[in-house]
Amino acid sequence: MAPFTIDLRELKFTLFEQIEIQRLLEHEPFRELARDDLDMILDEACKLAREVFAPAGVAGDREGCTFEGGKVRVPPSYHEPFRRYCEAQWLALNHSPEWGGQGAPRCLRTAVDDMFFGANIGLNLGMLLTPGAAHLIEAFGDEALKQIYLRRMYSGEWGGTMCLTEPHAGSDVGSVSTKAIREGDQFRLEGEKIFITYGDHDLTENIVHCVLARIEGAPKGTKGLSLFAVPKYRVEADGSLGAFNNVVCTNIEHKLGIHGSPTCTLNFGGSGPCLGALIGGEHQGMPAMFQLMNDARLAVGLQGVALANAAYQAALGYARERLQGPDVERFKDPEAPRVPIVRHPDIRLSLMRQKAYAEGCRALVLYTAYCMDVARCAPTVEEREEHAALVELLTPICKAYGSDMGFRVTEWALQTFGGYGYLRDYPAEQLLRDCKIASIYEGTNGIQAMDLVARKLPARGGANMLAVYKRVKAFIEAQREHVALGPAVAALEQATATWSEVNRALATAAMRKDWLMPLLHASPYLALCGDLLVSFMLLQQAEVAWRRLVALCAAAGVDPLDGAALRRLATSDDEVRFYDGKVKTARFFCASELPRLHARAAAITGADRSALEIVFNGE
Amino acid sequence: MKILVTAKRVPDPEQKVKIKDGALDLSGANFIVNPFDEYAVEAALRLTEKVEGATTRCGEVTVLGIGPKDMSQQLRSCLAMGADRALLVEGSDEGLDSEQVARVIVAVYQRERPDLLLLGKQTVDGESNQVAQLVAGYLGLPQACFACTIEASADGKSVVVGREVDGGTETKRLPLPAVVTVDLRSVLPQSVRNQQTPATHAYPEGPRYASLKGIMASKKKPLDSLDLATLGVTATPRLKLLSLEAPPQRQAGVKVESVDALIDKLRHEAKVI
Repeated sequence: MAPFTIDLRELKFTLFEQIEIQRLLEHEPFRELARDDLDMILDEACKLAREVFAPAGVAGDREGCTFEGGKVRVPPSYHEPFRRYCEAQWLALNHSPEWGGQGAPRCLRTAVDDMFFGANIGLNLGMLLTPGAAHLIEAFGDEALKQIYLRRMYSGEWGGTMCLTEPHAGSDVGSVSTKAIREGDQFRLEGEKIFITYGDHDLTENIVHCVLARIEGAPKGTKGLSLFAVPKYRVEADGSLGAFNNVVCTNIEHKLGIHGSPTCTLNFGGSGPCLGALIGGEHQGMPAMFQLMNDARLAVGLQGVALANAAYQAALGYARERLQGPDVERFKDPEAPRVPIVRHPDIRLSLMRQKAYAEGCRALVLYTAYCMDVARCAPTVEEREEHAALVELLTPICKAYGSDMGFRVTEWALQTFGGYGYLRDYPAEQLLRDCKIASIYEGTNGIQAMDLVARKLPARGGANMLAVYKRVKAFIEAQREHVALGPAVAALEQATATWSEVNRALATAAMRKDWLMPLLHASPYLALCGDLLVSFMLLQQAEVAWRRLVALCAAAGVDPLDGAALRRLATSDDEVRFYDGKVKTARFFCASELPRLHARAAAITGADRSALEIVFNGE
Repeated sequence: MKILVTAKRVPDPEQKVKIKDGALDLSGANFIVNPFDEYAVEAALRLTEKVEGATTRCGEVTVLGIGPKDMSQQLRSCLAMGADRALLVEGSDEGLDSEQVARVIVAVYQRERPDLLLLGKQTVDGESNQVAQLVAGYLGLPQACFACTIEASADGKSVVVGREVDGGTETKRLPLPAVVTVDLRSVLPQSVRNQQTPATHAYPEGPRYASLKGIMASKKKPLDSLDLATLGVTATPRLKLLSLEAPPQRQAGVKVESVDALIDKLRHEAKVI
């Protein structure tokens, strides 16, 4: 098995050279941090991910979780990395120092999680949910709840979960039927939740479930839902562990991937009273949940991105080593030496696509996380609101496009390995299996597309969309005459014009009260937005890279527009290779992938309704 | 126990080596702490820290680096691991030979007067494996190189060192102050213990990772710069770099027609049989 590889250079380029997250450090609450600190944090995360998380990632997939005698056990290999991760305080990297967090920006957390997810998604899912649940309590819970839970959860002493899904309430959260019955100042919970990630396990002594339930007599639908903190073991007044709270795991699922992450069925109150405390107001469960969901959706998009990058790195490593066939120039010569497959055009095309999507989607997710930080810490209201608007629009795109294209990349990467990719001896098949879930959970990608079209696009009078449009347009205006990227910028300009046309078509349909047309085309529309944004990200990167490249070439006395000379320099100089790679990736994407956007647009504006009108067999 | 540990920065061995005009081109190099020095820092921390219920630390750790100003990054990573303070003697990456480095360490030793001078057995760039031996000689201190185990005595006046030698381990007791260099196995879970480490205590294998608290705390720890003049070091290099070139590219092999032809080539061309 090839070792897990992280391109930290690429990650830092995106953070510091493209997005320039160091700009955040000029504002509270990040003034304490310096650029050096961010570097050290990334370096340290990289070491831990590579040396401790990654070996357990493979082992955990083979060992899987077990459910015996009512007890859930995570893979034995997870315990040591979990302990070391918590000891070094990674769990609450971006959470409030008041409760034991480290107060770092959300985008730094996202970059760090990129590495941890890539190294071991099964384990890192647990690391995602505990601070997520704690953050809900921090944002909406009362002081007493915070005192009991926050420090213990942010330190990893206790775990945390999100309990939404029920057998008949998946995408349709409004039909949740778990009951909450008032009992003094607490509530008694009764019901069953399924698909609860890390719903039970042996990593922590207690687990705090954030449960969506309906107080007796509350209205039907999402408006009648409230949120409760329900511990596995009750907590005594002095903070010590009390009696079992009758949260019983009755099953764990057997899944395609993420074998190390226990997916549990939890029964609340079936074996005796199960007590929970209200988080926030009565019937205020959904607004609270939405806050967490946006965060979680970005994290799921990131999972696609992280696994895509891990898969691309693995495929590239294999393609460099694997000898098959002669160079194409000598394909008829049986004496010609065998060459590494990276020399074959078909493999090169596939690797280029892998690189473009893996790195382009990564940039999009990191940029969205950065916008979350700016929406929080920018000095002016206008800036904060504009970035909040960006976050609203970009989040469903990051989630769905990041996970869909992430999965595609794992598939292309597996293909690069040929027959060996299909075997367990190589990492590609696990990455592919592990990645699939990202397009399904946290709201399927279909739900994301509907959220984009029906909610995020028309919201704020179209301001969300305008905030994105403004940025893309400003880039095009500034770079139209670019000496090396001109045609690629022109392709982006065309794509932007097409995007605007599609937006008009959707708005027109909505004005005619034709709701079905936008909903029918929601998924292709989201993909179209993804294509556009990834090309924008890659071009931004290429523009920065070109400036660096010009300086490096000047120092070496090479003309950057002289292809052969540049290639020679790139072979011997790693920095030149890196920046030149960025320029070429953007050009490739705009020339070879972006044209598809126009086909998608034609399909949407053509407004074909056959899929609505057909009668399926047995329907 | 007061410990002085040395840490050199070296170009990341995973990166491609660039050679320009007959010398190493370190302009784009990504520097890391020499791995053996990182093991020495780990050993020093284990020799001084409180574990499992002990109430006080039993010593302090100072890290010494020689290099350009931005070497403070590597020193900071040692501070983030848990060292108490750092000293940076300003110099260049190139042109430092064992003699000069040893003279600097001797001068710093005389200012600091540590009980134990701890070094990595060698650096992974120059691989000369001479500095500790020279320092011990100049200072007239007992030395134990290539330590795989180190144990502090109860009175804190000596250390027992297991040294890796051909065919086994040699155990030595050294009165302090002394010079010790560490080898790879010093980072095994139970290799290094201080007077209060319980016999059952096991560390995770390898040099420790910095915690986030450690990273933030490292900014507030003292990192002082010294120059050669202040230290009174004027040693001139004894080593001259005559030339430097990359190993020749491997040529493609040839297929021989028969075993006889192979034997003939091995005998007459390669001259190995």
